[in-house]
Order: sequence, then structure tokens, then C-alpha cells
Amino acid sequence: MNVTKLALPRRSLLMGASALAASPLAMPHIARAADPIRIGVLLAKTGNIAAQTEYLANGTFLALEERGNKLMGQPAELVWLDEPTPQAATQNMQKLVEENKVCAILGGSLSSNALAEEAKAAELKIPFICDNAAATEITGKNCNRYTFRLNTPVLVQSRMLAPYALSYGKRWYHITASFAFGQDILRSSRELLKAAGGTEVGSDEVPLNTADFSSFILKIRAAKPDVVVGGLSAGDLSTFLKQWNELGMKGKIPFVEIAIGDTDIWAVGPEAANGTFTKMWYYKNPANPPEEQAFAEAYMKKHGKPAADKAWMGWITAKSLFDTIDTVKSTDTMKIIEGLEAWKFQAGSTSYAYRKFDHQMLVRNLAVTVKEKITDKWDYFDVKATLPENVADLQKVFGSEEEIGCKMG
Amino acid sequence: MLDILLSQLASGLVLGGLYVLIAIGLSIIFGLLGIVNFAHGVFFTLGAYFALTLYQYFGWPSVILSPVAVGAIGMLAERLLIRKLYDKEPLVSLIVTFALALFVEATVRYIWGGIGQPFSSPPLLAGFLIWGPILITKYRFAVFVTTVAVLIALWLFLEHTPFGRILRAGSRDPEMVGLLGINLPKVLTWVFGLGCAISGIAGVLAAPLWTITPAMATNAIMPAFVVVAIGGLGSFAGAVIAGLLVGVVIALTIQFWPEASGAVMYVFMALMLLLRPRGLLGERWERFE
Repeated sequence: MNVTKLALPRRSLLMGASALAASPLAMPHIARAADPIRIGVLLAKTGNIAAQTEYLANGTFLALEERGNKLMGQPAELVWLDEPTPQAATQNMQKLVEENKVCAILGGSLSSNALAEEAKAAELKIPFICDNAAATEITGKNCNRYTFRLNTPVLVQSRMLAPYALSYGKRWYHITASFAFGQDILRSSRELLKAAGGTEVGSDEVPLNTADFSSFILKIRAAKPDVVVGGLSAGDLSTFLKQWNELGMKGKIPFVEIAIGDTDIWAVGPEAANGTFTKMWYYKNPANPPEEQAFAEAYMKKHGKPAADKAWMGWITAKSLFDTIDTVKSTDTMKIIEGLEAWKFQAGSTSYAYRKFDHQMLVRNLAVTVKEKITDKWDYFDVKATLPENVADLQKVFGSEEEIGCKMG
Repeated sequence: MLDILLSQLASGLVLGGLYVLIAIGLSIIFGLLGIVNFAHGVFFTLGAYFALTLYQYFGWPSVILSPVAVGAIGMLAERLLIRKLYDKEPLVSLIVTFALALFVEATVRYIWGGIGQPFSSPPLLAGFLIWGPILITKYRFAVFVTTVAVLIALWLFLEHTPFGRILRAGSRDPEMVGLLGINLPKVLTWVFGLGCAISGIAGVLAAPLWTITPAMATNAIMPAFVVVAIGGLGSFAGAVIAGLLVGVVIALTIQFWPEASGAVMYVFMALMLLLRPRGLLGERWERFE
């Protein structure tokens, strides 16, 4: 039997094999090329806002699944961390960047969190696309190059809602949450009321997670306003509307508020639900373009229940980022930012894009009222109008560069 | 002004009554078991969710079974988990019961979903009661009456039944109770179940008023701790007085300074701890000194 003699000495062969085995340690960049592209998701997993964030996350994950969980032809994955408080949220943001090596972050469920997160995004130099928070400052005086935002700012939504509130009268009562979102609504609404020559007959700032509103409602009842302008968020709004009905106020004094979520009204129940609201999207809006109808169908197929507005918000925000990464073919921060600034999505006659000077997405909102009789446990609203009624007025309603006060530097 | 103040007072008493029910179970469990039960709030949540499910399948009368089911789960938790904490440091029981709270909340989220569940008061209790200047809804009045009835029944049970006497004796000197031939571990299981069941009653009563969500315990557990601290750890009467006081103070603060309504109970607690560190009716307990 012929045995071919080794051309290399045994010791050299062993050293060579060892070196080959250790090569991934010596060349981490080669190993990393096979790693999936990671996108961070920073949304609350517990607390009252978790009802909304569940849908935001579902929409976000669906947007990636629609692409076969791939970006730029490579496997991609979402890493979801909690945002229980502003401080913990920024710590998790740092973790996403430094440990999970994400190339961008989606999230920001509460204004108080998002304001802290956008500052951290600038510090970490990571693109942050905020999907839910509505505080005006996020794309206003606190704006920065790294932050983009979907939700319509409080001031703009208040402008859209004001005509509906004024149609009931000029004696308003404000009941708002005592954190960034509610304080922003109070400030905006007071300005609009003053401009309209109205009177504030009462105002209460309510601590977050208030369980019993009966004492507040007794005060409103005694003040006899023409309309109550609310600024409560998520679970607090549901509890308020439930007790508003329980104390016999439903139908007695009109209630209006900006930015209601479907999950907020589903928790109220058909007997107690009432009011006029603004919202970004509604799954039963007959004017939804085919692309959004397809999204609603895909959501229903996957989750067995209708897509709440928050699911759409998670989906469209994630889509803007994923489209951008595929277009610029890079996960480089500045390329993503420039790509997002140039991103456009045409759905039917609706065009979505971020405004370059403040990174705010310009989206028409819906004015909705709760149906007189609710027969479907998911379908609570009649769409009254799409605002502004003329698309050409979008820039004007969202405010000019001078009014916004965003200086990115 | 007097009419709204009286109505606020009535509203505060109802809220305070709910706090009493949540706190009293916490107080009993601490008094006898020496466990600071951070998971107490989730039994309140379970009370609300069980009531919702029982109502959906069997109608209103069946919701009475909800606290029974909550009590049974409490007893199971005691046998499997809490029992192992009796000879451990208080910090260990805090951490373990906190973990239990997170586990139960996640389980509730998994079974019923994360979004709030609609639930209204029974049609029989719709409408108002108006007594002179005081306005209160029929349902809130029923909540207050039920709270008073539960507290009286509990007091009679603790003061005038052999089992109640064992509980009170066991809370002061468990060793002596054991030496008398009483199976104390079994008693402790029943006590933990009883405390959880009372919290479950509060959950049933709150379900048509509050939003039923997996996180609803956060709105219940902190006031309960405050009430227990103000009333005095382990004191039945202290918890009742403190709970009603906290409810009324919150309601009156909303009338005059709404922004402070979330913080006022903590200020009240801080003042009480400065003036009477053992709380309103807190006594010296040899076991905890």
C-alpha cells in the first residue's frame, strides 16, 4: 500500500491547523458579515401603555416579515427592549447600540420617554425613528439630526380638533395628564381657545395612572362647561370615559380629545364609549389605499383581530426605515439618515415622507366620533373628516420652519 | 360649595373602602406570616379578570366565585413558594414576591391579552342616589356597602370564631400555638388564601370602575402599602381608618389642588411615620422588634 508522505513536518501541521481554527477570533469582521442586520425596538413591555405598544410592536414585526425577514438581501432581526422610565429607556438604548450592535432604533411610546431617547440618540449617533410619542418638542425645539417622528405633534392635532370643540361652545374645561403629553395639550389648547375668544371654566392636571376620576368628574359637573377637552393617555383615558358614563355624564357634556388609540376605546366598552377624537389611521376607513388595506388584511390573518391604529403606526414607521436601508444598501448612520430624508411612499393618493428641516412625517389625520350604536366589538368610530381637508394645506397646518423652531445644526 | 364637598367626601369613602380591602389582606398576611407580600396587587388583578370571565360565561351572580378562585390560587402559591420564605430575611421575601407579581402579570397578559377589557356595572345598579346635597351612583354605594359588610364579617370571624382566635394567637406567638398541637403550617396556608381572597373581592368591585388591564395592580398595590404603613402593620382597625382617611384626603385634594392628588398620600404617610413610626394603631410586636 502506498502512503504519501506528508510534505510538512507534524509540528508545522498542528500549528497551521490551530491557526486555522482560531482564525474567526483573529478576523471578527469576517464573522460579523454573516451576522444578521439588527434593528432595535424600544417600546414599553409593561404598564398602562403596554396595551398600545403590543400593537406598535406587532406592526413593526409584520413590516419585517413582509420582506422575508431580510434587509439588503441579508437576514435581519429586531431586538426589542423595554422602556419603563425615561432613565431606563436611555440605558436600554445604550445597550442596544453597544451590546446588540443595532444600526437604528424604532420606538418611543410615551412623550416623556421619547424626549430623553432622542437626546440619547444624538449622543450615541444612532438613527431613532419615533413612532408613537406626540409631544411637539420632539421635532420642535428639541429636534436633532438623528431623530425622525411619525405621530403628528400635539399642537398640530389640537389645531385639527379645535373646530370640533368650538362647535360645541367656547366655555372649555381641560382635563390633562400631568406629564409632557398632557402639558403640551393644555398649552396648545389654551392658545387656541384664547385665539377663538373662549373661556376656560376649569382645568385639572391628573397624575399618571389615576384609578378613580370620580372627584374630577364631580368638579367638571359643577363647572357646567360647553365641552371637555381631554389630554389623558392610554389606560387613563379608558378609565376616565368609563367613569364619565358611570357618573351619568355621557351625552350631557361633549368630550373631545386628540390622538385616541383603538385599544383605548376597546377597553371602554360599547355602553360607555363616547366622544370626538383625532387619530392617525382607522382600519375601517373606506378611504384607506390598497397598500394599507393589504396591511390590515395581513394583520388580521396573522393575529386574528383587526389592526389597531398603533399597529399601522408601527408598520409604516418600520417600513420607512426598512425601505431606506434597502435603498441606500448600507447600515451606516449618515447614509440611513440621508435615506430617510429622501424616503417617499406613495399609497394610492396618499404620499408619506419626512420633512427635511424637522424630520416630521406629514400625515393627514382623521376626525372620528364614536358611533351611536356599536354592534361590532372592534368597530367604534365613524370617520367624519380627513384633516386638513385639502392636502395642499398640510405644510401650513404642520407649521413653517420659523414656527417650529427646529435647529438641527 | 358644600354640596360638592359632601359628594367628594362620599366619593373618597368609596375609593378608601377599596383601598381598605386591598390593604387588610396585606396587613393580615404580614401580621401572621411576617411576609411583606409584594405580589398582593396581582391577586386584586386576578379578582377582576376572573369576574370578567365568569360574567361572560355564566352571568352576574357567578362573579361571587371570583374571590374564591383567587383565594385558592393564593393557597397554592403559599404551598409552593411562600412557605419557603418564612425563615428567610425580609429582603428575600420582597424579591421573591416581586418576581411572583411579574410572573402572574405576564400570565394574565398571555391568557387575556395586553389590551384593556371592557366591563360595566350590572344594569340593576345603574343610576344615582341623591340625598340632599350628596350625589353618588348606585354602584359606588353598593361597593361601599359590600366593603362594610366584608369588613364586619372579617372582624366577627377574627374575634369570635376558634379559627380567628388561633390566627390572632399565631400572629403573636406561633411557637406556643404549635406546642398546643395546632397544625400551624395549615393555618398559615388558609391565612394567605384569605388575604388573597379579600384582595380578589376588591378586584371584583373595582372591575366595573377601573380599566381591566394586566398592569392594574400598580394602581392598587402602592396605596395598599401606604394604608398599611399609616394604619400600623398588622392592625385591622388601623388599616380601616387609614384606608378611609387616604380616600377622603385624595378626593379633597383633587377638589383644591388636583396636581398633588397623586402625591398627597405619600406626604400623609411621611408625616405619620415622623409622628408615630408604628402607624396610627400600630402596636409593639415582639416578633418584629
